[in-house]
Amino acid sequence: MAIVETRLTGKIGSLTRLQITQFLFGLAIIFAIIKPLLPEFLVRIPVEMILPYDIWLQTLFDFIKDDLGLLTVTRGISSVLEWFLDITANLLYGKRRWPNIGPVPWVAIAVVAAVIGFWLKGWKMALLAGGTFVWVALIGQWKLAMQTMSVIAVAAPMAFLIGLLLGICAWKYPRFQRAIMPVLSILQTLPFFTYLLPAVIFFKVGPTAGCIATIIYAIPPMVLMTTLGLKKVSHEVVEAGHMSGSTRWQMLRYVYLPAARTEILVGVNQVIMLCLAMVVLTAFIGMPGLGAKLLSLMNSLKLGRSFEIGITIVLIAVTLDRLSKAWVVKQPEHFERGTSWFVRHKLLIIGIIAFIVSIILAQFVQVADHITRKQDLSMGKDIDNVIRAILANDIITGVTDWLRWFLITWVLIPFRNALLWLPTGSVILAMAAFGYFVGGRKSALLVVIFFGVIALTGWWDRSMITLYAVISAVILATLIGIPLGIAAARNPKWSEPILLVCDTAQTFPSFIYLIPAIMLFSVNDVAVVFAILIFATVPLMRYTIEGIRAVPSELLEAADMAGATRNQKLLKVQLPLALPTMAVGFNQAIMFAFFMVIIAAFIGTQDLGQELQKTLAGNNLGKNFVLGMCVSLMALAFNHIIMRWSNDRRKALGVG
Amino acid sequence: MKFKYMLSATAMTMAVVSGAFAEDSSDPIIIPIHNWSSQIVMSHVVGQIFENMGNNVEFVTTDSQAVYESVRLGDVSLEVEVWEGAFGASFNAAKEKGGIHAASEHSAVTREDWWYPLWTKEACPGLPSWEALNACAAVFATPETGDKGRFLGGPVDWLKHDQERVDALGMNFTVVNAGSAAALWAEIGAAEKNKRPIVLFNWTPNFAEAVWEGEFVEFPTWVASCNEDPSVGPNPNATYDCGNPADGYLKIAAWDGMKEKWPDAYNTLTQISFTNPQIAQMAKFVDVDEMEPEDAATAWLDANKNIWENWTK
Amino acid sequence: MNDINPVISCKSVWKLFGGNAEKYLASMKKGQSFEQIRQAGYIAAVRDVSLDIARGEMLVIMGLSGSGKSTLVRCLSRLIDITGGEVKVDGQDIMDLNERELIDLRRKKMGMVFQSFGLLPHRTVLENVAFPLEMRGQDRHDRRERAMEVIKLVGLEGREEYFPRELSGGQQQRVGIARSLAIEPDIWFLDEPFSALDPLIRREMQDEFLRLQEILGKTIVFITHDFDEALRLADRIAIMKDGAVEQCDTPDKIVLNPATEYVAKFTEEIEKSRVIHAEVLTKPINGYKLEGASISADATILQLSRQLIGDNRDILPVTNKDGVLIGGMNRQEALNVLLGEN
Repeated sequence: MAIVETRLTGKIGSLTRLQITQFLFGLAIIFAIIKPLLPEFLVRIPVEMILPYDIWLQTLFDFIKDDLGLLTVTRGISSVLEWFLDITANLLYGKRRWPNIGPVPWVAIAVVAAVIGFWLKGWKMALLAGGTFVWVALIGQWKLAMQTMSVIAVAAPMAFLIGLLLGICAWKYPRFQRAIMPVLSILQTLPFFTYLLPAVIFFKVGPTAGCIATIIYAIPPMVLMTTLGLKKVSHEVVEAGHMSGSTRWQMLRYVYLPAARTEILVGVNQVIMLCLAMVVLTAFIGMPGLGAKLLSLMNSLKLGRSFEIGITIVLIAVTLDRLSKAWVVKQPEHFERGTSWFVRHKLLIIGIIAFIVSIILAQFVQVADHITRKQDLSMGKDIDNVIRAILANDIITGVTDWLRWFLITWVLIPFRNALLWLPTGSVILAMAAFGYFVGGRKSALLVVIFFGVIALTGWWDRSMITLYAVISAVILATLIGIPLGIAAARNPKWSEPILLVCDTAQTFPSFIYLIPAIMLFSVNDVAVVFAILIFATVPLMRYTIEGIRAVPSELLEAADMAGATRNQKLLKVQLPLALPTMAVGFNQAIMFAFFMVIIAAFIGTQDLGQELQKTLAGNNLGKNFVLGMCVSLMALAFNHIIMRWSNDRRKALGVG
Repeated sequence: MKFKYMLSATAMTMAVVSGAFAEDSSDPIIIPIHNWSSQIVMSHVVGQIFENMGNNVEFVTTDSQAVYESVRLGDVSLEVEVWEGAFGASFNAAKEKGGIHAASEHSAVTREDWWYPLWTKEACPGLPSWEALNACAAVFATPETGDKGRFLGGPVDWLKHDQERVDALGMNFTVVNAGSAAALWAEIGAAEKNKRPIVLFNWTPNFAEAVWEGEFVEFPTWVASCNEDPSVGPNPNATYDCGNPADGYLKIAAWDGMKEKWPDAYNTLTQISFTNPQIAQMAKFVDVDEMEPEDAATAWLDANKNIWENWTK
Repeated sequence: MNDINPVISCKSVWKLFGGNAEKYLASMKKGQSFEQIRQAGYIAAVRDVSLDIARGEMLVIMGLSGSGKSTLVRCLSRLIDITGGEVKVDGQDIMDLNERELIDLRRKKMGMVFQSFGLLPHRTVLENVAFPLEMRGQDRHDRRERAMEVIKLVGLEGREEYFPRELSGGQQQRVGIARSLAIEPDIWFLDEPFSALDPLIRREMQDEFLRLQEILGKTIVFITHDFDEALRLADRIAIMKDGAVEQCDTPDKIVLNPATEYVAKFTEEIEKSRVIHAEVLTKPINGYKLEGASISADATILQLSRQLIGDNRDILPVTNKDGVLIGGMNRQEALNVLLGEN
């Protein structure tokens, strides 16, 4: 608290921070009021001042691609990658490539998954891991799922290795770290369309490009976690290593990396989850598998089977997530001296035997080998009818029709028009005021530069429409998510199931929400906001629950002893302390919203997403990149301000 | 030009001579598939015909616009559905660069235009005439369009010039662009329950006609220079004052190298031609009967042996 | 203390933290205080320390947290590079060693025990203990054998396949001790090895440590912030404050004659009779004739208390452990120590 207050009253020149904020904000309002009198460049950057960044970038890309011969390099990489992909493809779904021994029967994979699950965390995990693959087979999506898995099986280890190496370099060379951090932040906020197009151009359409895009998408957290883990290794362990006479290589190999195991494995977990999220999206550039099937099902409006695919993806995601998390906490177990090799490796042997038995079984029993369309248990049609019935329910349509009318007429369109009407200078000043209030001169400058660049690219109006959708959705998400989160946090019985729902909603492939959104609200901004809303509410709820639950119990006891009522406790103790955590949730909500607003282009928008989607069919890398950067810069500006606030607040409260 | 022709002629002769009976290469013929059912099934139908002839076939998923560049370079071998309206431009652009050509033309014709499901007629009985549609514009009004009617167009990058047509014909409609084909279907699906009147962009052949009965709006008939010459069409001062062509082509494109590498398969390909009902049937297997594309292709081939067996001879 | 050449010898060792510390040190005036240096923007972790540590000696470095004791010990093993002065180990200036030679020195001569044990969490007890041997490339069988030997020595037999997290704090520190002894080091650094342990365990571990020292007779640099521990273990104690050594002497002398006020503050609360041995109070008798039973030079005043009170002689004869008379102790002086009157 003290820190914040001194910050606020800290004098800069002769003005306090609050005064400067007020001044900037006042200026923004004045700009808006005197809009007709403003010089043109403050209203909108005039066309002749907009530099053709996209053309320059395109020239640069072309130069790198053709003249510097990067294309040959990347095509070389892609043939290596293709070789790996062919192997996993052959093993998992029998693509006719070397080594020509696949496909492995589904029973064998399910059994091995169950054994791994058991090894990592016992029966429940075995059931989940085995059950997931049984479900995939029975529902008739085996081949699709394996097409997807065959890419993950290559992309995840690659992303892991590259991330680990970069992480080690960043930890070892602070200069390299300073250089790579901004790149990583941009990569994490860049819309996925911007990953896809360069991948296609440099690495050929199909699985290779998809694989590359997936790898790049998954690298940043691995780098961050590796660096974090290595930095956290206790200095005594390091000194013990030195005193044991370790050479540099021995230090890294035997001391640092094993000691950073937990963080590195958390990185692995994130790599796997991001790979799964991205690999579905790469369907847009011709990656076969679950994502492609989902797209084609959506193109023929088969909600039931889309839903089933969604379930499959969630199950696979949950399984991989839980397995890798179990691996994080899995500690080596000791055996007494003289325990025989067979006992020590009991599960390994059981796994191998089960694998061989199921392969033999599959030779004789067709169902164990593969399940044909007529044998599967898909209930696509029935689910279809249920979903349609729900979406067309009179009460629901009544509510949605009213909501649509209300939001469109009274909220969204006026807000959108206002944002579009505001002079550029006004918006930038308001953002600067916001930045100044939270983080001082540096933050304000950063925000001004970010938004200034957007203005200079000439995509201002489209960016404002994107921003409008994001802000509208996040505000609605806050209104829904925070009360729900508070309610859930107060009752432990509720918080677990709600967190589970959050997890599921988040792992559902994002574009699956588009169809219900359209069916509920038809093609318009309400559907767009609704689709974003689903995604943005999740982190808000999660962090609210976690923030409130993390309040130390002594504080609650102190409040109880002071005679606080439940509401007083909530308002005076829990919420203030949970606020920094909730801000992190708010930040994530905004990041998710920026991610989803781009996907919402498939509903029909007039924002950056629509332009990005258009670039996907061509080869205009320059424009694609400029558009991507506009999204990224807006996201980064918000990210900077909110995280700054959250960190300051945490410090002020003396937590974390 | 002549030299090039001679070269390829020699190559062909060589191929014929060396193979004695013109054998196809054992390399897989690569067939691209996209994200709509008729194309996927038709690709599998063609693929299975090739496999019957002893060829290796492989399917790759690709983008439907970028595919022409891939065909041109030989990365994929052919494309079974080249729509005049949707892909004519990409196809022609690739053709000009060389390496790709039209191997065959389906008897099916394609049409892309404003369309409505049949229940809409109850609210606006004068349909399918466009004047009648314009007269009941209010029926199609929504909160975001005010008192104007709402026309749901395809994604902007399909470049269908709907707004220009609305202006040229002085229609009381606002064009709202969907972001994807799926968005269009979702709208029809949502409208179906309460039989809400709706007019939107659609095309044939596709699965929608098997699911929802409907009709195209009849605009002033398309004439060649309608979109370039203002004087053509009902409005003397505007272009785009007529409908889209009602009988666009649907072709099969092939990589130029195909006829040398797989002469038999190529020969068959040039004879392949499907009709609108046949294509609709393929799509229906998947979209209505919920079959997997491979199974749908097998089913179609089993049921129509008399048609395709001639092509392989 | 029987070797003339010290094992470790440091001469005016300095360690300053801050940018360009060497340059600042070179230009710094003599006799700058800790505060003055801090105002110049540097933290003086070690300030002009000169110490000699003899073979087989146990030197305890005592000081409160932030006094620079941990830094000093890291300077002696060159875990930290010093800013000025010199540190010689067996006559070799360790600042002259290159990386390879330094690694070699540590592999052959040094062992270190850490406050929070510094065990590698992913390795079993056996693998932890064998770690230094593995680093120097000893073969698997040999290092296993040697590791088992030390594990036995520290009393952890039967736990060699456990992982550190499965052990209690005391047991973990035994592993740390075993590891530091695996290579049979000449010099043994212990950085507050028992501070993280419960008082009871700490006592037990001190006894254990004394037992080991009895067997091994190593040169030891032991760090602690616990004055009682220092008194209990040390041959000599160096008391540090603000990076400088305030006094370095035997426990008796420190207690009896604290050199500075700071040291005196530590000794104030100490029951001196427990610490001071008869030997320290013994003075040459210069021919003065002593009568009656003699007392042992090794006995503390507390141990002699009954005798001191009962006796009525002014001067008591003192003999060393071989029974040779070495002098006489003034009874009144001893009683003063016993009663805490100084």
